[in-house]
Amino acid sequence: MSITEMPQNWEPKILVFACNWCTYAGADLAGLSRLQYPPNIRILRVPCSGRVNPQFVIRAFQRGIDGVLVAGCHPGDCHYVSGNYFTRRRYLLMQRLLQYVGIDPERFQARWISGSEGPKFQQVVTQITEEIRAMGPNRKLRDAQ
Amino acid sequence: MSEMTKKMQEIAREILEKGEAQVVIGWEKGTFWYLSPPAFIDKPEDVQRLVWDDFCHNNLSKYLVDLKNHEGKTAVFVKGCDSRAFNRLLQDKQIDREKVILIGIPCPGLLDQDKAKELGKNSELPKAQKCLECQYPNPLVYDYYLGDKEALNEVAATKEAADYSDVAAIEAMSPDERYDFWTRQYDRCIRCYACRNVCPACSCRECVFDQTRVGWIGKANNSSENQFFALTRAMHVAGRCIECGECERACPMDIPIMLLNKKLVKDINELFGEYDAGVDIEGKLPLGHFDKNDPEEFM
Repeated sequence: MSITEMPQNWEPKILVFACNWCTYAGADLAGLSRLQYPPNIRILRVPCSGRVNPQFVIRAFQRGIDGVLVAGCHPGDCHYVSGNYFTRRRYLLMQRLLQYVGIDPERFQARWISGSEGPKFQQVVTQITEEIRAMGPNRKLRDAQ
Repeated sequence: MSEMTKKMQEIAREILEKGEAQVVIGWEKGTFWYLSPPAFIDKPEDVQRLVWDDFCHNNLSKYLVDLKNHEGKTAVFVKGCDSRAFNRLLQDKQIDREKVILIGIPCPGLLDQDKAKELGKNSELPKAQKCLECQYPNPLVYDYYLGDKEALNEVAATKEAADYSDVAAIEAMSPDERYDFWTRQYDRCIRCYACRNVCPACSCRECVFDQTRVGWIGKANNSSENQFFALTRAMHVAGRCIECGECERACPMDIPIMLLNKKLVKDINELFGEYDAGVDIEGKLPLGHFDKNDPEEFM
């Protein structure tokens, strides 16, 4: 099946890089609070948002992910003091570079979600899932043509 | 023989005869009249091979990385862009300043090799694109200086503002048009890694693209892997690219690699403040530090 045609029952696949100390705890809180969010996301726990290599993001797109979210602690809250400040610089650039080579801005996003922001986690992933659902499957950078 | 060639040979002979350095890196005439590849001179009688003409494009500072474990000193000729590359490598602690003798050459801007090949010897040749956009034609750091110092100040005063109109032209396209544009470009890539090999910012002991067992990048030459390569390389040299344009010149498939690099330079300037890589060796790299007041878009 070619990836250019819209498959039946297509559901977006979204990869969330969640920092262990804030966003992962936030996601956990969303679950504990029984907040419903779409099952389209796959959470990948990383020690810090600064651990997320730009190559991870490109690789995700290559292997068929439709949208990527990098999430970590709010600036000033990093468990490792400054990891998320580096993330911010890196992904401000990376976001623009991806847009420059033609990736839609909705497909790659970054957010700060703290351990107490369960509702924010729910709201962010719901919003991203809906945006990606409206756009359809990602065909850019895919390695299976 | 040009005046500058004569001066180059004189100083190289002097350095080798006195034993100040064991090797002198310069340029020599290559297979064709429009090629001046690097030359490594270690005997005083070989200095007549050295030449300075309109095609001495190669960034010689890159070769210092290969020679960093050599005993004794290395002398190297530097144009403006070579000297920025030297500063950059020094900043990364890739080379030892004590082991290098720099011989500065003011660069009037070099000619386009591809055009030279196309138009022939007796035609009016345009300058290379990278030289038209050059902001630092004079060496920023040197131990000896060939040429006259007044001309140096004159050229320094005429430093032009960077031109990003080609980047802006791509930014103006729609996402799909941009993707098609870059796919067209990188479908041509044969992944010879010439851009990496010639790049003075690419100084890793082992490059990620060579670590095949780790599996960052597949060996397959397809659109997806080629773009993975392009984006990864662009991110790796972000903040360290000195815009010498060597990648684009070395590319056998004429991929506009500098369009990617310039985009990153432009964004770094806009987001984190004006920064010219390889100008000030004391400053921190844009991606090597942060500012608490950086733009916030991820709330």
